[in-house]
Amino acid sequence: MSGIGKYFKLNLNSATKQTSGSCGCGSSSGGCGTPKEDTSETSYGCANTSGGCGSQPQSQTHISDEDFDAAVDAAIGEGPKKDGFDQVFDVQMDRRSAFKKLTASLLIGAGAVSTSCSVTTGEDSKEKAQIDWEEQFKGNYKLMTDEERNATVERLVRSYQLRKKKNINMSSKDAEKDVLFGYAFNISKCQGYMDCVSACVEENNQDRNSQMEYIRIHEMKDGKGFKFEEADDNYYHEVPAEGHFYMGTQCFHCDNPPCVDVCPVQATWREDDGLVVIDYDWCVGCRYCMAACPYDGRRFNWSTPEVPEEEINKNQHYLGNRMRKKGVMEKCTFCVQRSRAGKNPACVEACPTGARIFGNLLDPNSTIRWVLENKKVFRLKEDLGTEPKFWYFMD
Amino acid sequence: MIKKNYIYILGCTCVVTLFSCKHGEGEYHNITDKIEAESKNYHGTSISSEQLLEGIETIEISEGPHTFLIPERKGQIKSYACTECHTKPLHQLKINDTIKKAHWDIKLIHANLNTMNCITCHNGNDMDNLKSLTGNTIDFNRSHRLCSQCHSKQFEDWKGGAHGKKVAGWAPPRASMTCVNCHNPHKPGFDTRWPAGFNTQKVKERE
Repeated sequence: MSGIGKYFKLNLNSATKQTSGSCGCGSSSGGCGTPKEDTSETSYGCANTSGGCGSQPQSQTHISDEDFDAAVDAAIGEGPKKDGFDQVFDVQMDRRSAFKKLTASLLIGAGAVSTSCSVTTGEDSKEKAQIDWEEQFKGNYKLMTDEERNATVERLVRSYQLRKKKNINMSSKDAEKDVLFGYAFNISKCQGYMDCVSACVEENNQDRNSQMEYIRIHEMKDGKGFKFEEADDNYYHEVPAEGHFYMGTQCFHCDNPPCVDVCPVQATWREDDGLVVIDYDWCVGCRYCMAACPYDGRRFNWSTPEVPEEEINKNQHYLGNRMRKKGVMEKCTFCVQRSRAGKNPACVEACPTGARIFGNLLDPNSTIRWVLENKKVFRLKEDLGTEPKFWYFMD
Repeated sequence: MIKKNYIYILGCTCVVTLFSCKHGEGEYHNITDKIEAESKNYHGTSISSEQLLEGIETIEISEGPHTFLIPERKGQIKSYACTECHTKPLHQLKINDTIKKAHWDIKLIHANLNTMNCITCHNGNDMDNLKSLTGNTIDFNRSHRLCSQCHSKQFEDWKGGAHGKKVAGWAPPRASMTCVNCHNPHKPGFDTRWPAGFNTQKVKERE
């Protein structure tokens, strides 16, 4: 797979046989790289991506071990390092997404060519086209080197400057060693004021048109237990209401996150400090993760998110609250732009009752550890084995 | 011969079962084990909230096994020191009711009048300090000791970090709000009020 051939050699009459077997032992990550039938040709046949496990290489008599290893490596995101072009095009995809990608790239390319060759367009639009071109062909954030990460952050900042004439501050700060973020929620303290919800929306630049909210506060009847189907998460009356208690849900940043397992393109993953994050530029918007999440932690942008310019939080992180686009997933990141700088997430800071506690689970002297060790804590749907890092407790 | 084959197949099955269904679950059985194991060699992180605490005057307190910072209080009280007005003991300052009282806006809504009144916490002869139930002096900066006389359960939770809020961030050094940073000592309860917002789109989506 070398030379220019890889960019346009598409096997449109895809006849690749799918030979994936199922063994029900839940392979942990993404695709399984069904080996190609015909190794002499670069094949972009129907991708068999998500979920499955171990297709049997034994049945493929005429595939060399080398090719198989390469296919597996490509599927699990290891192996030789690929540049942006490779990451975009050197994967198995179906005809539809191939056309989609080619069209998008062509449009951007055409734009770049027309602006850069034209004598009438200004420097700014040439630079814009250049940035768009490079952004289109950048790789998966997870696989980028530090320089590449800085470069894409710089491009995004510059692009915003060119388009909106405003400066933003974007970070690509990595997970710190010896940090594992955890969260505790005191059900007896929450009064249902929803200050956390509005603080979250302001901090994370959520779409104002669709009124997207990461946090849900459920108003539940005393003495009935946790009945989410009977609870009201969109109340508007004086709170706390007589005979009710309140409990908040959001992304629980599971240590064994099912949303990450199902992502066919590995656009979402668990960081070393326990945060489950999304690369908005890699997400294809299939919403598998939304379906896989047992806690309703994920949100989808049905339309282009809009935030009034003066309300945009300009302190951003690549994996956090930077502006999203139409058709991508987003969710709570424990305010990665704040938490990695030592601050509390916006919801914790906004809570007037102190019902929300955040901290480092690996620090034996942290307050979150004291809560876990001294209060009677529980988590939602613990039996699923998702290991959420979000505990509930009562006084 | 058949028996040998049988044993061979059985052996193979055992080996296959042992190695086949490897989940991607890592080395720990659950998150609690993981936290316990990985925090054994914890030597602190480079993230600190010291910068966030800049400009906030704090004092260090030690209560039982816990040592942490709380915001300094005296500087936040508008007319401290109290003796600047209360030049004489309270009973000598008392005159007729025609003059407008200085603390006219304070209404005590804290426990009931059988349990508490002004002099439960304030000392008419020493207005610059608070006093404990037994008449000992308590500094305004350490008012949590006054509250902890009755609210012992909340005090335990606060010391550990289950009650109350942090001043700035999660990172060490720990700086926690003290009781009076959230609760008005004369009216410590939280009011009922309307929620911060109402999601009209959610209503439409669910129609």
